[in-house]
Amino acid sequence: MYASIEELVSDATIKNLPISELVIQAECNDMNVSRNDVWRKMKHNLDTMRLAVSRGAHGIGVHSKTGLTGGDAVKIKDYRKSHKTLSGDMIMSAVQSAIATNEVNAAMGVICATPTAGSSGTLPGVLFTLEKRLGLDEEQMVRFLFTAGGFGMVIANNACIAGATGGCQAEVGSASGMGAAAAVEVAGGTPKQSANAMAIAISNLLGLVCDPIAGLVEVPCINRNAIGSSNALISADMALAGCESMIPADEVISAMDKVGKNMPESLRETGIGGLAGTPTGQEIRMRIFGKNL
Amino acid sequence: MSNLYRSVFDIIGPIMIGPSSSHTAGAVAIGRAANDLFGGIPERVIVHYYGSFAKTHRGHGTDYAIAAGVLGFDASDPRVPNSRQIAREQGIDIRFVEESGESPIHHPNTAVLDLIGGDKRVQISGCSIGGGTIEIRNIRLHGIDIKPTGPLSIILYVTTNTERDNGISLIEDLNRLAPFYKKQVLKNNEYTIYEFDLKQQLQEGIRGFFVNKYENIICL
Repeated sequence: MYASIEELVSDATIKNLPISELVIQAECNDMNVSRNDVWRKMKHNLDTMRLAVSRGAHGIGVHSKTGLTGGDAVKIKDYRKSHKTLSGDMIMSAVQSAIATNEVNAAMGVICATPTAGSSGTLPGVLFTLEKRLGLDEEQMVRFLFTAGGFGMVIANNACIAGATGGCQAEVGSASGMGAAAAVEVAGGTPKQSANAMAIAISNLLGLVCDPIAGLVEVPCINRNAIGSSNALISADMALAGCESMIPADEVISAMDKVGKNMPESLRETGIGGLAGTPTGQEIRMRIFGKNL
Repeated sequence: MSNLYRSVFDIIGPIMIGPSSSHTAGAVAIGRAANDLFGGIPERVIVHYYGSFAKTHRGHGTDYAIAAGVLGFDASDPRVPNSRQIAREQGIDIRFVEESGESPIHHPNTAVLDLIGGDKRVQISGCSIGGGTIEIRNIRLHGIDIKPTGPLSIILYVTTNTERDNGISLIEDLNRLAPFYKKQVLKNNEYTIYEFDLKQQLQEGIRGFFVNKYENIICL
């Protein structure tokens, strides 16, 4: 297990190994399990993600029990077919996969939490877009997840990944940083560029609050994953272009931790402040649960 | 730096039924730990929610998640959303109480479960720290309060003060197969409880070894 991004990057550079490889080796050693088992388990996670992405955008899509959300992934799929998108088909394909996954999650379907269920669409949004864009094979896709997970472990152990502790920046922000770092590796960038991509991505979402309407992981959680995915792709591109984060990755993580701790409780997954606290947010809560806060 | 997330699969995973990893998958895990501690399904369960759990449990499906865990289901089991109905059909009484005070174990995502069956009464206090990972911070068993530290796995070994104590042999086996970083021995007039916080998650095969060799061992 790695204590910091700096340690992860320097170890990868010294050993001349991709970060995904270091994460696989650390998992085998720390958990005392075979490489085969570790690989198989990650492949199963990948398969689960693929199913959710496809289920959410299939037919009429999926809809949550509350009726608040669903069907947007299908709308985006149709729009991509019939229109010239403004942000480009690649970004909108990431948005579609991200939203599809979180719609399945909101509808109590099966997803893979990465790092959380509320942020489960961000990595698939990035990964399945790059699959087509870069022609990734299965091995590269599984490696993407190990790299993302390696960065995520450092974030989780030095800051937090729960909205109730650190706001949405800790969930979608972390996922976006993990996705950006992993995107750099599959695109052939260096470990240092991965660290820069993560730092840029998290910096862009710093301060994002967790304000789910009626406490449900629907609004605004689903759309925020679309932003998480697009932000990851943009941050990865910037790092690959040679742009650097002024603040080192580990300090960005520590800043996120402090911002989270300073966030009022009403903005940390209590369904009280932010969008949840708006007149419409409160009205929806009343309608669903028959109870105001 | 904390050492709470030890496996890459704590971050990429778990595979679970939505909608929330902390409030649903983590809640299933707390319910599972309660089931393991009780040694099966109790007749009555009173769930006390604190903090974010108290405010948003209905929106997040925390109630059905806890019930699913108490019934012994996994976080990815398709029966999870229907678990309260299933519990009712099995005659299990599960109640949920929204507490307004501070969490007794100091975390915004806290559930304290009282499990009752016949003369048996145990209490478990868990918090969901994010991404489906949980910590059990207090256990009350045979009137003894145990305070584990860190995420699972935890091993409890319970002996009455009149029977032969296999604690030494257990410690040797743990050192060999499932190293721990902290040990506590707690006593009252009747019982002695050994508590071990393990360095790694307990693998299935090794769990089987301990359960077969030692009576009155509880693996969380």
